[in-house]
Order: sequence, then structure tokens, then C-alpha cells
Amino acid sequence: MAFVSSGYNPDKPMSDRISDIGPRNYEEFLPPVIKKNFGKWLYHEIIEPGVLMHKAESGDEVYTVRAGTARLVTTSYIREACAIAKEYCGGHLRWTTRNNVEFMVESLEDAKKLKETLNAKTFPGGSHMFPVGGTGASISNIVHTQGWVHCHTPATDASGTVKVIMDELFEEFTSMKMPAILRIAVACCLNMCGACHCSDLAVVGYHRKPPMVDNAYLDNLCEIPLAIASCPTGALKPSKMELPDGKTVKTIAVNNDRCMYCGNCYTMCPSLPLADQEGDGIVLMVGGKVSNRISNPKFSKVAVAFIPNEPPRWPTLAKVTRKIVETYAAEAKKYERLGDWAERIGWERFFEKCELEFTHHLIDDFRDPAYFTWRQTTNFKF
Amino acid sequence: MPSVEFQGKNFDIDEDGFLQRFEDWCPEWVDYVKDSEGIKDLTDEHNKVIEFLQDYYKKNGIAPMVRILSKVTGYKLKHIYELFPSGPGKGACKMAGLPKPTGCV
Ligand code: HEM
Ligand code: HEM
Ligand code: SF4
Ligand code: SF4
Repeated sequence: MAFVSSGYNPDKPMSDRISDIGPRNYEEFLPPVIKKNFGKWLYHEIIEPGVLMHKAESGDEVYTVRAGTARLVTTSYIREACAIAKEYCGGHLRWTTRNNVEFMVESLEDAKKLKETLNAKTFPGGSHMFPVGGTGASISNIVHTQGWVHCHTPATDASGTVKVIMDELFEEFTSMKMPAILRIAVACCLNMCGACHCSDLAVVGYHRKPPMVDNAYLDNLCEIPLAIASCPTGALKPSKMELPDGKTVKTIAVNNDRCMYCGNCYTMCPSLPLADQEGDGIVLMVGGKVSNRISNPKFSKVAVAFIPNEPPRWPTLAKVTRKIVETYAAEAKKYERLGDWAERIGWERFFEKCELEFTHHLIDDFRDPAYFTWRQTTNFKF
Repeated sequence: MPSVEFQGKNFDIDEDGFLQRFEDWCPEWVDYVKDSEGIKDLTDEHNKVIEFLQDYYKKNGIAPMVRILSKVTGYKLKHIYELFPSGPGKGACKMAGLPKPTGCV
């Protein structure tokens, strides 16, 4: 299409420029029943998977129907959601902190009709557009990242792995049979955009080879001291080198024995790429949580050192994930998060029950704090 | 690699319009970039920022942190934005010929 101006004048970029207006005030978008009862809610109930009811002091009720989304969606998809909101909810809707979508109505009857409508909508390939669920002790949406869709540092894909796991565990999204909530997160590199470090189960993209060094360009494209300082293990040092054409350039030398492939240096310096088809894959972590319900918040711990990338369906990832989820669901006590369960039975039992191989990769060796992760007691089970 | 010609000089640049080699910088480069960075006329203040960035880069091999840029030039961040509407990174560093800022920008 030919160029269509929005009215912006490139010759006077600062004229009529609006800035620092911030986001719209959320109050503008509240459904009337929410606005009226704001701050005056008495109690809530989960009516059935995906349907909540909140009771206000005034006696008003609001029914919320929660549906899964892919997070990465088109404008047509958003319009579809808007059309539903217009038909049932006076044009109101909201997105949750796990990227589900919630539609609010004022009667149980309307909520049931809405759930039926949402569950009936499918894409041409057969997938649900708005599967209802994600409430209570279930597996709700997967918090995830950019992957091969948009980022330049990933070691795996996000949208692909998420679709695989949600397909595998779909039943758990639409029911509430878990001992407690089971949060899953995906991050496509160790930067861990999102929630991997504090989720019950986490998929993290992982490299296994040190960066390649583009000596000819490095000094032009990178601020060398930044790259050196970006390395958590001191594997990098500045160096000089003679190129084949005889020119001496400043560059960086990588000590491969100290490198653990985090990719931080590539983030700072475009001349140190490290992505690799065979080398890259996934690390599985388990046992994190952010709430302080009963036990304090926990970090997730590495449970599987490497699962290969197997696009498009990542069968090994799907299998291992299912095994961990099913074992937890069968063994844990009511209200026990995965981390609470693993800590109660002991990690040696966790590995045994989930049939996971314990390899030396899982033993912390990062600086002084590694010591505290070893076992300073004779309390263990054979 | 795209390159541009301006007032008889050739510049290799990337897709964001950053110079590929610091050594290629010359005053013509500043003239060439200023339009795309929303700058009509270059003032002494612009030049002071550009000169400081270049000195710092030559000495330290990195661009200065924003607080160092402010402290040394005496220009508050607000004034740096008045001079370079795209800000110290995309605006001033690009004109000074420094490498493109990296990290989660
Ligand atoms: C030259 C001989 C010995 C040396 C150098 C030695 C050294 C040590 C050291 C370094 C520890 C660890 C202390 C810690 O927890 O940091 C230890 C613990 C212990 N040693 Fe010895 N030991 C010796 C002989 C013995 C003998 C002969 C016995 C018993 C008959 C014994 C019984 C124990 C016990 C029971 C502990 C465990 C204490 C605990 O639970 O921390 N040791 N020993
Ligand atoms: C029937 C015989 C024994 C009983 C019932 C017994 C019981 C106990 C108990 C209850 C403790 C405290 C454990 C704790 O800290 O919670 C203990 C610690 C200990 N016992 Fe015995 N014990 C017996 C025989 C022995 C013998 C024969 C030895 C040495 C030759 C011994 C050496 C120790 C030592 C070194 C500790 C300290 C362990 C530590 O906390 O590091 N005990 N014992
Ligand atoms: S986790 Fe890493 S690869 Fe994924 S979006 Fe964040 S920075 Fe990019
Ligand atoms: S990948 Fe990580 S550990 Fe390896 S050299 Fe780069 S910053 Fe250091």
C-alpha cells in the first residue's frame, strides 16, 4: 500500500507531539457492577472450572468466565473477543496476569450460556479459541516469552513449547483435580523473562556450546569492557589478534573451560553469537512458588539438565512434563504445591518417584552459596 | 551491508543507521544524521555532548552511563532530550559514531 500519513510531520517532529500521558485509567473500562461494588466484596466461590462468582455487600453478584488464550494473538482474534464481550458483557472484558481472558456477567444463567459459546468456538485446525478453565487447583495458562518469533537470544521456542505442553495437559486446564495450583512458565533463554525462577514447573532454553568470536567485527560493533563485565564466571578477557589480512584488531578471548554458555556476552556484544541447532535445548526446573501461603516463596530448582529441541512437537518435553505432573498429582497432599511436596518427601524421593535421572549437572557449583545446597546432614533416605 | 554517500563521503551503516566503524566518523556524518534524528541546527551544546561521548569512548572503550554524561556536560537528562529528541543512545551516540547500544534496550 502506498504511504498514508497519520498527520505526523517529519520536518517538524516535535510539533503537536503528545507525550507522558501514561496509560488510560482503568476505571474508564470497569463494568458497571464492578464499579458500583469496588472495594466492597464479601466472598467468592468457584462455581465450576472456569467460572467464579463474587458476592458484594450490596447483594450484587458478578460471574466471571475465564478462558485460555495463546497470548500471541492477531487483531482478528481480539476482535472476536470484543464481539463476544459486546454480545454478553456490555462490551467489557479483561485480561489476567497469566494472559487468560475473563468475561463478566451478572447471572449464573448468562455465565453458563457464555461458557458454552466460548467452548464451541474453534479455529479451522480444530483448536479451541476460548477454552474455559484455569481456576482453582488446575493448570492455568503458561507464562511465556518471545522465542524464535521475535527475540535474538533464545535457545528454544516459546509459543511452540507452550502449545505442546498445554495440549498435553489440556484436561488439567478444564478441571480442578490437582492437590494445589500448578504454575508452568517458559523462558527461551536464561534471562528468564517472566516467571521461570518461581514456578512449580519451568521450561528454560539452554545452550551447551561457548560463543563463536567474530574477530573482524568485534571491536567495531561492541564495547569490549561491557562484554568482559557481562560474564558471570570471568571467562572473557580482552585480547589482540592478527587477522588473515595482516591487520591487528582488538577482540575478546573466550576461556572455554570457564564458559557455561549463559549467552550474557552475546546480549552485550553482537559479535559473540552462540545459538546452535544440536547444542541448544531445554532445562526443566521444578518447585518454585511466589505466594507465602503456609511456606515461604521458593525458587524453582533444576530437575532435568537437558531435553533436546524437537520442533514442532517436542515429544520428550511433553512426556517428561506429563510424568512430573501426574506423579505430583497422585502423591502430594491437599494444598501442597509441587515444591512443598518435594521438600517434604525429600528430593531423593522426588527423583525416584518422577523417574528422573540425577546427573552431576544438578549439583550447584556457582560460587560460595553452592555449598548451602549440598547436604550437611545424615538425614536422607536410601 | 548498506552504505550511504553524503557530501562525497561513504559510510557503512546498519539497518538502524549506526556507523559500522568508529574510525569512519567525520563532521559530515553528523550533518547527514541530524535530519533523521529530528535536529534542525547543530549548536555548541550538541557538539559538547558529541565530543564528550567520543573522548570517553576512546579512553574507556564504552559509552558513558547517562549519569556520567549528565555530570560531566552539566546537562540534565531533560536537556539532553531537548538537544537529541531520540535520547542519549539512539540520538547522541549515533551521531558521535559510537557502536549501537546493546542489552535489553
Ligand atoms: C586423627 C583422627 C581424626 C580426625 C583428623 C578427625 C577429624 C574429624 C573432622 C574434621 C570431623 C568433622 C567435623 C565437622 O563437622 O566439621 C570429624 C567428625 C567426627 N568424628 Fe572425627 N576425626 C578423627 C578421629 C575420630 C575417631 C577416632 C572417632 C570415633 C571413635 C571420630 C568420630 C567422629 C564423629 C562421630 C564425628 C561427627 C561429628 C559431627 O556430627 O559433626 N573421629 N572428625
Ligand atoms: C544403644 C546405644 C546408643 C544409643 C541409644 C545412642 C543414642 C544416641 C542419640 C539419641 C544421639 C543423639 C542424636 C541426635 O543428635 O539427634 C546420639 C548421638 C551420638 N552417639 Fe549414640 N547412642 C548409642 C550408642 C553409641 C555408641 C556406642 C557411640 C560411639 C562409639 C555413640 C556415639 C554417638 C555420637 C558421636 C553421637 C553424636 C552424633 C552427632 O550428633 O553428631 N553412640 N546417640
Ligand atoms: S527469555 Fe531470553 S530469549 Fe526469551 S524473550 Fe527473554 S531474553 Fe529473549
Ligand atoms: S556465554 Fe556466559 S559464561 Fe560463556 S563467556 Fe559468555 S558470558 Fe561468559
